[in-house]
Amino acid sequence: MSVVEKSRLRSEEIKPKIGSRVVNSKDELLSGELSDKINALLEHRGVLIFPQVHFTDEEQLQFTGLLGGVAKEIRGEEVFKVSLDEKVNDKVAEYLKGSLYWHIDGTMNEIPIRASMLTAKVLSPEGGDTDFANTASSYEDLDDATKAKIADLRVVHSLWRSQLYHTPEPTMEQLEDWQSKGEAELPLVCTSKSGRKSIVLGNTAHYVKDVDPKESYRILHGLREFSTSEPYNYTHKWTVGDTVIWNNRTSLHRATPYDPASGRMMHRTILPGMEAWEN
Amino acid sequence: MSTTTQTQLNQEEIKPSIGSRILNTKAELLSGEIAGEIRGLLETRGVLVFPQINFTPDEQVAFTKTLGTFAPEGDDEGVTKITLDVKENPQSAEYLKGSLYWHIDGTRNEVPILASLLSCKVPSPKGTGNTGFSNTYSAYDALPDETKAEIDDLHVLHAPWASLFYYSPEPALAMLKGMQAIGEKELPLVWEHASGRKSLVLGCTCHHVIGVDHQKSAEIIHGLREWATSPEFTYSHEWEVGDLVIWDNTGTMHRAEAYDPECGRMMLRTKLEGEEPWAN
Repeated sequence: MSVVEKSRLRSEEIKPKIGSRVVNSKDELLSGELSDKINALLEHRGVLIFPQVHFTDEEQLQFTGLLGGVAKEIRGEEVFKVSLDEKVNDKVAEYLKGSLYWHIDGTMNEIPIRASMLTAKVLSPEGGDTDFANTASSYEDLDDATKAKIADLRVVHSLWRSQLYHTPEPTMEQLEDWQSKGEAELPLVCTSKSGRKSIVLGNTAHYVKDVDPKESYRILHGLREFSTSEPYNYTHKWTVGDTVIWNNRTSLHRATPYDPASGRMMHRTILPGMEAWEN
Repeated sequence: MSTTTQTQLNQEEIKPSIGSRILNTKAELLSGEIAGEIRGLLETRGVLVFPQINFTPDEQVAFTKTLGTFAPEGDDEGVTKITLDVKENPQSAEYLKGSLYWHIDGTRNEVPILASLLSCKVPSPKGTGNTGFSNTYSAYDALPDETKAEIDDLHVLHAPWASLFYYSPEPALAMLKGMQAIGEKELPLVWEHASGRKSLVLGCTCHHVIGVDHQKSAEIIHGLREWATSPEFTYSHEWEVGDLVIWDNTGTMHRAEAYDPECGRMMLRTKLEGEEPWAN
């Protein structure tokens, strides 16, 4: 682990291909002076950890704003309470069960959010880690033959496919509700304006277009297995007060299972997307 | 519940559309004298329960043979142990996880097995590990004519690898390839049997309806499964030690309800060879 001084940004790499810890003080982070450097680091490292920085909601919103603005959450709020407790989230808790599987947020939107930020308020006694995988790093490491084979493939994403992961025998009412959220077609390999390529995968990835179903599943699950393997993944074991931000476009993420009644509570803010999946 | 006596067969209905209890003695059952009537009842009721009949493994094999052609499993001429315990069943414990979801056995074979017989040696704690049955003849019969017309000519691709995603939605590629190597098969959604009766062919091996878009396909497969597994057409058997249950695999779906894999639940299974290929 190397400690790098970048003017005043103090960060250390977690693993060669994913993750950095930023150890600046809360005041330094909220001054705005480091924002460009943090953004550059986020793009490159995929996930940034701010250990026990203990942001209040106001401070988290301020910090989010400094990095690129605050996007509205599902119900128009700026801070979303991530909880599997139905008392907190009613129907949304059902959808959040899908977050226990590898996914990318916003695959159903033309312009995905740029990044998400989570602050740990209450932890579950067991489980409830957040796993990340850097799909830009994993893409880089694919052999050229595989890169050529997948270069032009297109994938249909749907919320309803992701919900079958946790509810494989739905009622018609559930299925119709999920299907009403629509579907989207995305390239399997997406190129950002910076020229960096990443693989678009996760539990919403239903099938590769114009490919035999068996091969389609082998492609999507083979790439998911590769992208979430040891070199490209990082498991964050939370301490109360930790803030984590990840580059949504190039990161698969998931929560590891935990008891919905444990009270686990994360406060989330999101940064508005600046770039469509396809340009 | 009506109790009827047909010659020597002593049975009572469990629910109007599914299930009967057979109350004959072990000796009467093993004599083979009412085997023909049991076979007839099996087709109309879908599942037959022989409460605490306490067959030994040899008796279960002998009884199975009175009803049709005994189907050996693997190299085994006797009973097959059904358990999720890895120590007892290292090969198949993983595969059996698929049994927790509604399914029909043998969807990749030309001729599916006619029936399975399951006896309980060690039950799981009460409230867990029941076996659920759905009568797919009754469920088809009760569909509106309009729906019957819509689905009568549809075909479905069945694949064991599709069921993998029910219990392991993020499989390793090696596991996926292993399951895909088992094969897959196109089957009619509605099976018109030689008898002229029709049943639904559904379950967790269904991958997709041929020639229909993905969304509609999921609606058909899950909508009909929900219908066929609604209370009217289903029976959930709570096991006592010594119970034997036989079900018509060609006219039912079944599943194990969840239980602790380490609770020691142990069932013994025998099978009857199929007599009729899937209709095309």
